[in-house]
Amino acid sequence: MKQLQNKLRIVILSVILILGIKAISFAQDPTASPVLLDLKYYVSDQQVPYVIVKTKTKKERKFLPVKGIPVSVFLNDESNASLLGKVVTNEKGEGKVVIPASFKSTWDSSSAFTFKATSEPVGKTAALSGELTIKKARLVLDTLNEDGVRSIRVTALEKNGSEWMPVKDVEVKIMVKRLLGDLPISETESYTTDSTGQVVGEFKRDSLPGDIKGNLILLARTEDNDLYGNLLVEKTLNWGKPLQDNNDAYNSRSLWGTRYKTPLWLLGIAYSIIIGVWGVIIFLVAQIFKIKKLGIEPIS
Amino acid sequence: MKNLTPLTADIITNNLVPQRFGKRGMIWTGVLVAFCVVGAYAYFLQLKNGLGVTAMRDYVSWGIYISNFVFFVAISLVGSLITAVFRLANVKWSTPLTRIAEIIAVSAIVFASLIIVVDMGRPERLFNLFIYGRLQSPIMWDVIVITTYLFISLLLLFFPLLPDLKILIKRKELSVKSLGKFYSFLGSFWKGTRLQEKLNKRAVNILCVTIIPVAFCIHTVTSWLFATTYRPGWDSTNFGAYFISGAFLVGAGAVVVAMYIFRKAYTLERYITELHFDKMGRIVVLLALLYLYFNVNEYLIPAFKMKNSEEAHLTDLFAGTFAPLFWFAIFTGMLVPIFILLFKRGRRPLPAFIAGILVVVGAWFKRYLIVTPTLLHPFLPMTDVPENFKHYFPTWQEWAIALGSLAGALLIITFFARIFPIIPIQETINEQHETVAK
Repeated sequence: MKQLQNKLRIVILSVILILGIKAISFAQDPTASPVLLDLKYYVSDQQVPYVIVKTKTKKERKFLPVKGIPVSVFLNDESNASLLGKVVTNEKGEGKVVIPASFKSTWDSSSAFTFKATSEPVGKTAALSGELTIKKARLVLDTLNEDGVRSIRVTALEKNGSEWMPVKDVEVKIMVKRLLGDLPISETESYTTDSTGQVVGEFKRDSLPGDIKGNLILLARTEDNDLYGNLLVEKTLNWGKPLQDNNDAYNSRSLWGTRYKTPLWLLGIAYSIIIGVWGVIIFLVAQIFKIKKLGIEPIS
Repeated sequence: MKNLTPLTADIITNNLVPQRFGKRGMIWTGVLVAFCVVGAYAYFLQLKNGLGVTAMRDYVSWGIYISNFVFFVAISLVGSLITAVFRLANVKWSTPLTRIAEIIAVSAIVFASLIIVVDMGRPERLFNLFIYGRLQSPIMWDVIVITTYLFISLLLLFFPLLPDLKILIKRKELSVKSLGKFYSFLGSFWKGTRLQEKLNKRAVNILCVTIIPVAFCIHTVTSWLFATTYRPGWDSTNFGAYFISGAFLVGAGAVVVAMYIFRKAYTLERYITELHFDKMGRIVVLLALLYLYFNVNEYLIPAFKMKNSEEAHLTDLFAGTFAPLFWFAIFTGMLVPIFILLFKRGRRPLPAFIAGILVVVGAWFKRYLIVTPTLLHPFLPMTDVPENFKHYFPTWQEWAIALGSLAGALLIITFFARIFPIIPIQETINEQHETVAK
């Protein structure tokens, strides 16, 4: 009887445990997580400013992109006249809207903007909205060379009316552009502007290979700054090590050489086989003519 | 057991001279021509609009055209197996099969060459290969070896045909009159003198010795087009032997299929006997086991190590999107034919024919699996590319061209059988005399 009671307890406990686990797992159902809509603003000295909208959802403590959401992006208010563009998010959950040329006068006349993004409901995803307010700012990059020490000076400027005023406490990263990513100019990851709006970073990448002339692309940027967004400035400088054009490998006989630089051993083997086999073919074709001649000649 | 009249030279000649197409022959030829016409139209569209009409993009740049190319090259190897290897090994029973094997080889190699040009998109640039070609490139080796193999195969088809041409010229009443001039052009000089026969026999022997290494080269070099490239699934030292064993298998399977069709179509039961199916069935089993062995080596060892770089490719083949096709190719192309042909009953004409078809179909899909999945799994991940770069399924133009090329190869064989004896007449007569003399 006691054993039966124990078994009953185990069964009840198991049922509770299973139901509990299920309840927890339902509570963490990813379908229940809402889709979020973010906006990011980008401006550089070489590109038209643009806005990236990003749709994402949380699943198992990670943000995952949500694709296929149509988003409309407006400047300042949600009227048709303020529509900057419409975009559908890609597999990364991102969509890019470049500020159209028709907004140039509005853009130039103000020093602060609010970007608004909205989306209609799509499938299980409810209507979304997001907003980003930015102040117009830019970075200026110049170089210093004191006592043979190369440094980079970056100034952060904020637009105030028609004036560009230096701003302090802006976090700036100074990097060198490389093929697969950007490399900091020294061990310091980032710098913060002082009261004059400036930062100075020492360039410690002396032997960095550049292009064939030794040119490097230096850049300074802010990353997701709350007030100014993502600012970028680039400058090409002759501070790198010129790339040696190594043509020796192509000028010598090799498997990767040009048509007239075939290795001699390969030429020897290939031509021996070709001449050998085609010699046999030519011999056999000659045999056909020989057989023909024998057939035409009167049989003695 | 039927009491059959002994085969005399006249009976053999009457039985083996080419026959007019019957109703079924006309339908068969019509269907093949229709496939070729649709394929030609699809190729016209490709020439007009560029390779964009295909589903091939930056990653999958070798689609079913190259799969078809590898298939054709593979099937062409049968010429060297049946004609050369058996002849040198003095295997007498293979005599009725030699010409079938050789015409399969010639038609396959012709279309292997053509399909490569189709894959180029800009065929006029083929000329650049001869102006700027580098001998270091395996593609150049392939061009050289395919051309060589085509010439040798044509010679191997022509020399044993000479005695039969004499018969065809002599027995004009048995063939269409318009073909008479063609026969005379090809072989009116053949008188069958001892010296001519001696020269002919020597030429055939030289060809048999030459064609074997060239055949090995053609498919080894084709395998090197893949194996010299550092990619998951292709980076293998096993590839040459793996390709050659597969080629012999598909070639032998194709011969079994052709044997059955010619036997039925031209009532050749006294020439292509059950013995031939039994012998060829045994050979197919042997070759299927050999190919299976190389497949185990090709897939099991990389799967055992499961290197990160190969993992996506292998799991996609074994259990992913390509798994149904992969297991279909393994079962259809090897395991089921082995199972059928292992038994004596399975080596009778009809089951052997079915097994042959399975081998050929399985082999075609196997070539597709060698080419495409690897291209969809590059070492560097596909980033920032349009969605259609990440998948490949041939467009109707590609299917039409590929099927048109297969139909074209079959059409060559069909027309050849209409013009020339598909079983060597003179050799059969000689062998019959030898048998009677014994």
